[in-house]
Amino acid sequence: MNLSMLKPGEKGKIRDIVMGGSLKRRLMDMGVLIGEEVKVLKKAPFGDPIEVTIKNYNLSLRKKEAEIILVTTDDK
Amino acid sequence: MITIAVAGNPNSGKSTLVNAIAGTRLHVGNWPGVTVEKKEAIFEYNGKRIMLVDLPGTYSLSPYTQEEIIARDYLVHETPDVIINVVDSTNLERNLYLTVQLLELGIPVVIALNIYDEAKKKGYRIDIKSMEEMLGVKVVTTVATEKTGMERLLSTSLKVAESPFQYHSKQLDYGEDIESIVRVMEQRIKQSHATLAERYSLRWLIFKLLEGDTHILKEINGDGNGLYFDDVVRHLRKMYGDDIESIMANTRYAKASETTHGVLSKPEIRKIELTEKIDAVILNRFLGVPIFLALMWFVFKFTFDVSTPFVDWIDAVISGPLKRWTVVMLGMIHSPAWTISLATDGVIAGVGFVIMFVPVIFTMMFFITFLEGSGYMARAAFVMDRAMRVIGLHGKSFIPMVLGFGCNVPAICATRILENQKDKVLTALLIPLMSCGARLPIYVLFVGTFFSENSGTVLWSLYVMGIVLAIVMGIVFKRTIFKGEPSVFIMELPPYRMPSFKSLMIYTWERGKHFLVKAGTYILLVSIMVWILLNLPWGVEHKKDSYLGKTGQTIAKVFKPLGFGSWEVAASLITGVIAKEIVVGTMGEIYIEKKMVETTEQKTILQDLKECGISFTMAVKDSVTNVFSTFWMKSISIRGDKKLTPLRTVIQKTFTPLSAYAFLAFVLLYMPCIVASVAMRNEFGTWKWVGISFAYQITLGWIVAFVIYQGGKLIGIG
Repeated sequence: MNLSMLKPGEKGKIRDIVMGGSLKRRLMDMGVLIGEEVKVLKKAPFGDPIEVTIKNYNLSLRKKEAEIILVTTDDK
Repeated sequence: MITIAVAGNPNSGKSTLVNAIAGTRLHVGNWPGVTVEKKEAIFEYNGKRIMLVDLPGTYSLSPYTQEEIIARDYLVHETPDVIINVVDSTNLERNLYLTVQLLELGIPVVIALNIYDEAKKKGYRIDIKSMEEMLGVKVVTTVATEKTGMERLLSTSLKVAESPFQYHSKQLDYGEDIESIVRVMEQRIKQSHATLAERYSLRWLIFKLLEGDTHILKEINGDGNGLYFDDVVRHLRKMYGDDIESIMANTRYAKASETTHGVLSKPEIRKIELTEKIDAVILNRFLGVPIFLALMWFVFKFTFDVSTPFVDWIDAVISGPLKRWTVVMLGMIHSPAWTISLATDGVIAGVGFVIMFVPVIFTMMFFITFLEGSGYMARAAFVMDRAMRVIGLHGKSFIPMVLGFGCNVPAICATRILENQKDKVLTALLIPLMSCGARLPIYVLFVGTFFSENSGTVLWSLYVMGIVLAIVMGIVFKRTIFKGEPSVFIMELPPYRMPSFKSLMIYTWERGKHFLVKAGTYILLVSIMVWILLNLPWGVEHKKDSYLGKTGQTIAKVFKPLGFGSWEVAASLITGVIAKEIVVGTMGEIYIEKKMVETTEQKTILQDLKECGISFTMAVKDSVTNVFSTFWMKSISIRGDKKLTPLRTVIQKTFTPLSAYAFLAFVLLYMPCIVASVAMRNEFGTWKWVGISFAYQITLGWIVAFVIYQGGKLIGIG
């Protein structure tokens, strides 16, 4: 399960970032760390990008970037 | 002189803080060779000379964005005496992640705990004393928007800068696994690579080497030869089973969290914040796009409709009284005729041309700065990103593109809202295809002459043609020049905040001034060159024999297949490089062959001054009525009449409707005007993209006009 699959209002815990290099580092610099809790707030009017809350602030990212962030949710 | 560098996250109120300290002494320029803004100020404080350098806002000191590279290169190589680290009190943890990295550099740090009022309002309690102890730095609480704490921040920074040993920043403990490696590496470097130990803060260098930081590896190339650290890297990896960059990021964030939890106590119940309420509307699925478009309409309308009357006023003053009095003055000292012509038609016209951009540039800069400072710009990008991605652009690109319809120049300046170099350049390359206001006079002349029956449709088709070609060229550029360049969209949506008015004004003023000074020089040069082309050899009877006429005759054949191969048209197109509306003026001069009617009324200086005053009041009035009188854009609507002027009669004989349309398409596309080119040069620090812009636009313009004219003939129109 990855972050792009969560619906607005749903929460998850970050399990892994399945891409190395600069993209991973950028995400980590923004606080997207393994074990961190993340909540999807909303989707943009055209469905992409999405807005999430992490580390007590709001971050937006494209679905493409959300896809490499694996999450676990309570029910799965 | 004491150097203070200001570092901090974007949206931490850093710019406002720098403005609050430096005020009007702030100077805005660019970092050498890049498109990132550099703000600095030199001033006296308590008898000390201080240089304040505002580093670009960054979340980290990785080597992955231009801003990060600039910030860290400055800190590492220029080693300022002290770093003021602006920290957003309402978002401690992520801000402290940067603080932790700054501490690695071994430069004394003073934390400005900014936006402190908001944190208090939220019920946050921050234990300053523990924070100072945990991080080993001085902490000063500030509210930059209200100028609170500035005095204390400055005096503390000075104290720290003057006794660096007493206030030497603490090295945070990264845990035995990492610290033991640091000790081993320190030994090795000191023994075998002493030069490196002199050049860098060792601790920082070791971390960068461990992370495999490509930027630093390239930099120490040579000095770092034979430095062995593969074993420790392997050791770390075996222990954590992750790449070392991630280990380091995790370790630093752990330090930031630890500090945050140690000093911050939050109230149990969280209030629903204003930002959430506003976003519920502004980012709403159905309302998001309409609200964005409405705001764009507002910005556009204000930028162009408010400033147009002033532009016209400046134009009238310069081409009227100013020119007249220059002629009189030069006549009094018996200057030769050619100097009078050069002074009025070359120099004054050129300078006047730059000054005419003042109102529009300043108004636009004001809005852009406001949208950025308030937090809306990030939302605009969020809303429009999906749509703009089709042409390989970023969500924020939409704003410069729209401004392009008013005038390409402020539009190109506005590309600075984009972070990524590729996004900036690509947007700037496409902006000239947005049909600007200066092209209207040409459209008016030709559409009025040939297509008066369906002028609206023809005009509309030209705008659409520009947009369609921008989409096409966007896709082409994405697959050619910018092939393989990754595009990422990882952006903070900061809380909405009201930017301080003073900060807005200073920033607007500095940004505008920076442009005008730079642009002025080039424009003056080109204006003089065009004067030379038009008027030399001195005393030519017939414009055909001027250099411009000769050049026109040489290049006219290039336009033959497009349906307008006469030297007069070619010559007009050349002068159109200054600004496209000049095409009409040149055509008038060449075709009509007599100077525009010059009434040499005798007026005293007093009369002139009075008239200027009256017309300025009119301009203010027009500017206000423009905004409130109509929903439609005044500045880009046709104000033409259907009278058959002498010029129209000539044009009717020279063009057919088909070749006229091909000509209009060519004028729309063929090149960015000189001011737009200079703006592009300013933004990107190189003529390279200007060259590419000229090359592709001329090719595109020629092909499109060719297809229109020849295609039209083939299917029997014209």
